Amino acid sequence: MISKTAMKLSALTAAAALALTGCASATPSPTSTVPTALGKTEGTVSLLAWPGYVEDGSNDPAYDWVSKFEDQTGCMVTSKSYGTSDEATSLFKTGDYDVVAASGDATLRLIASGDVAELNTDLIPSYAGVYDFLKAKPWNSVDGKVYGVPHGYGANLLMYKKDVVKPAPTSWDVVFDKSSAYKGKVTAYDSPIYIADAAVYLMAHNPELNITDPYALDETQLQAAIDLLKAQRVNVGEYWSDYLKEIQAFETGDSVVGTTWQVIVNSMSAKAKVGAILPTEGATGWSDSWMISSKAKSPNCAYKWLDYIDSPEANAAATGYFGEAPATAAACEFMGQDVCDSYHAGDEAYAAKIYYWTTPIANCLDGRTDVECTDYARWTEAWQEIKG
Amino acid sequence: MAGNSAPIAAIELVGVSKSFGAVTAVQNLDLVINDGEFFSMLGPSGSGKTTVLRIIAGFEPATSGTVLLAGQDVTSKAPFDRDVNTVFQDYALFPHMTVLENVAYGLRVRGIGKSERNLQALEALRMVRLEGFEDRKPSELSGGQRQRVALARAVVVKPKVLLLDEPLGALDLKLREQMQIELKELQRKLGITFIFVTHDQEEALTLSDRVAVFNQGRIEQIGTPRQLYERPESEFVARFVGTSNIFSESEAASLLAQPEACSVRPEKIEMRPSSQSQKDASVLPGKIIESIYIGSATRLIIEIDGGKKISVLRQASAGSETNFDRGQQVFIEIRNADLVPIKK
Amino acid sequence: MDKYSALPKQGVETPALARRISTLLYSKVKLRLTLLLAAPLTWLVLVYIAALLALLVTALYSVDSYTSQIQTQLTFKNVLKVLTGQVYQTVALRTLGIALLVTIVDTLIALPIAFYMAKIASPRLQRLLVIAVLMPLWASYLVKAYAWRSVLSNEGIMQWLLRPLGLDTPGYGITATIITLGYLWLPYVILPIYAGLERVPNSLLEASGDLGAKTSTTLRLVMLPMLVPAIIAGSIFSFSLTMGDYITVNIVGGANQMLGNLVATNVGNNLPLAAAIALIPVLIMFGYLTAVRKTGALENL
Repeated sequence: MISKTAMKLSALTAAAALALTGCASATPSPTSTVPTALGKTEGTVSLLAWPGYVEDGSNDPAYDWVSKFEDQTGCMVTSKSYGTSDEATSLFKTGDYDVVAASGDATLRLIASGDVAELNTDLIPSYAGVYDFLKAKPWNSVDGKVYGVPHGYGANLLMYKKDVVKPAPTSWDVVFDKSSAYKGKVTAYDSPIYIADAAVYLMAHNPELNITDPYALDETQLQAAIDLLKAQRVNVGEYWSDYLKEIQAFETGDSVVGTTWQVIVNSMSAKAKVGAILPTEGATGWSDSWMISSKAKSPNCAYKWLDYIDSPEANAAATGYFGEAPATAAACEFMGQDVCDSYHAGDEAYAAKIYYWTTPIANCLDGRTDVECTDYARWTEAWQEIKG
Repeated sequence: MAGNSAPIAAIELVGVSKSFGAVTAVQNLDLVINDGEFFSMLGPSGSGKTTVLRIIAGFEPATSGTVLLAGQDVTSKAPFDRDVNTVFQDYALFPHMTVLENVAYGLRVRGIGKSERNLQALEALRMVRLEGFEDRKPSELSGGQRQRVALARAVVVKPKVLLLDEPLGALDLKLREQMQIELKELQRKLGITFIFVTHDQEEALTLSDRVAVFNQGRIEQIGTPRQLYERPESEFVARFVGTSNIFSESEAASLLAQPEACSVRPEKIEMRPSSQSQKDASVLPGKIIESIYIGSATRLIIEIDGGKKISVLRQASAGSETNFDRGQQVFIEIRNADLVPIKK
Repeated sequence: MDKYSALPKQGVETPALARRISTLLYSKVKLRLTLLLAAPLTWLVLVYIAALLALLVTALYSVDSYTSQIQTQLTFKNVLKVLTGQVYQTVALRTLGIALLVTIVDTLIALPIAFYMAKIASPRLQRLLVIAVLMPLWASYLVKAYAWRSVLSNEGIMQWLLRPLGLDTPGYGITATIITLGYLWLPYVILPIYAGLERVPNSLLEASGDLGAKTSTTLRLVMLPMLVPAIIAGSIFSFSLTMGDYITVNIVGGANQMLGNLVATNVGNNLPLAAAIALIPVLIMFGYLTAVRKTGALENL
């Protein structure tokens, strides 16, 4: 037994040592050379992505957009999926991955820590087709330097079991102020970034808090969100970060209402009788970016992947499978315009209503200068406190 | 033993059998052990003697038959409801208790107060001459000392019958002989029935009032040590208790002119210088093929004509300086009176 | 011919050298010991002691809150936060409570099973039971935890079994965590107790009964005291494994978190804080081991 505990500890410290050395060598280097031309492809490329972003047919033979890439470029793909942005950042810091598909709450941290490299978008021909309103945004660029190319975007939806949650909800209140009706069967996403979901709700229902950006919360505003989430905690059956866990919980009825992704809704059986909506308050969401490691072992294959995944057909396949709007208008030709419309692809006004995940930092993202905002570390702490 | 009026036996077994699966350990056994008797159950391992002891103690239920303790049927009673106590072969001392706690255990579970039971336990320890050892743990004692603690622990609750399962088996020869004497003394002092299980025939003969010889789940013979030695009723008893020369029916007829199989003890056979015939005896010529000096005596193996080997014990008495060497031609004399007929 | 004439020469020289080394090692006890122990000791120092020290030192670092970069100026900030923060105290107490309950439940279940295995079952059945107890260890931890997730679900077997009795499945939560962890660690508790029981000679139990003790008295006065070291040995397994667990509570624990979850949450972004939290179970285990060392239970492992 002593050895077991010690092994766990040693594994932890080994990870610590790894992280330490990793950090020491990866000094943020704004002067790092951005490639001007691509060389010979390396033969392999290692990807880290949300589940459903890199499908080679092994989960479902109907969904395979990796094999074509491998045939075209000769770069053999290995991939790993992750459940939360925190998991992604810690995995990516190991240096084992060439490319990462990261959400806005991870991208800035990866850029700041120098784990990802600046991109030369001229080497990514398909980048030209990407919606302009997704290009060079605060979550994928710094000072005009581009670090990530868009993958797709979508909203965190509200999923409910139609036979239990009646009438059909239109507001997030079923998981907040009215959650006691479903005590023990409410579910929520298990990540500090979920605090922003509470902030979105407070923006609509508690205007006196003056929240304008759910990622720019001063201490008072954060406290209000914490209180809301602590009240919700009493009724939460479980938090989820593994999307398979949520699917199972809704199938068995252990969860009946809570946040979800479109991909989960699509995976539910008809028997589960679930519905999913974008509530009136709006929602948090994501606009994910593909980024290349500053320590990439296969940078040429990595560039090839970025180009491939933003090409209309592949982008349509990947975003269609996950259930999010594609990054390029041309993808709609492959997805079907009606599908594209259901995701409000290209609808700038709708896209503006989604509060994309971004990393909260001390300099308020909403432009306020009279207060200091709470940063992600504070959110992490708060999240632990909320879960108790 | 106890006069003419039919005494109540300490132990009575009626038609007791015990099987372990297909193996029969004890077969339809009847046995009466008298009050105050030192009774031994002797036999080779696997002969059923320990099983009988365990049936009496209540550790094993009999497959069939009845066990009576002082006239009371205890066949279906648990060990803690029987007025007998056991001294185990491995002593079975509780390793987490001191010597005093071990000895006082039987009193403790009977609800006797601490000071009272310690007093009695100390008394029992004094009886086995272990004063001053009461605070030690069993692991800090020698084999002989553990043996005494086990004895004290068993007798402190004043049982009517004490069962001893090869209690001296683990001790070396000197200590064993000393403990034999102490056991005998203890039994006299307490005046209770001792039932002693052993495979050592010498020990059984030395200690016992009566001995039962076990073989293959049956009693071959019950008797006083003298009866067993002098008058073994079967070849098994003749061989197992002491050493015997056995003559089969045909050998007895041809060599000794006897009508049935019989045995004779080696020390009863005389050496003769000539073939001169004696009254009521047979004289046989032979050759010494082995001569073993064992201190108080010399054991000779003599091959008589026809190839049969006879064991002869020559006591080293004063004046008999005669040397018997290997290869020497001799005559042996077997008196008819020393022959013991053997039941088939 | 050369080939053959060379052979005996070699054959003589090599044994002579080997013999000299053997003789040297035979006569120099300390040298022999040093060589024998060098490899395991290096392993021990590197993997166990160095790892623990690294954990301690890491706990004294801090982290840049924006980039998650580790800053190596030593500070007690994290340790103090963990010691004084309410959430850490709550979670530590919850974890401790779960670990104790799992240990108690496992011990209560393991005692009769181990007793049956060691003292009642026939040798053949005994072997089968040992295999049966070990069998679950061949299945993956995750498979077993997810199996319990489905058993304890609203539509699971537990609900189906309990419904006729008018009861409901406990659902996901602390109860489910205790059940699942109890199931996972049960073999680790049964085996030491079984081994301990094997070492109690039957004659001791017979002697107790022979001296007049009822079965319950025998269990209380003879069996239990002799089993204490084995029970403690088993409890070390269930207790420490529970103290460090975070996966089961994630799968069946509902919204609850244990110390392991706090470590896991922080390991990505705030490694020093994670290290500081990880010190709590280390300290608790250290205290527990120190306390039981005197009972001799560690010799039973």
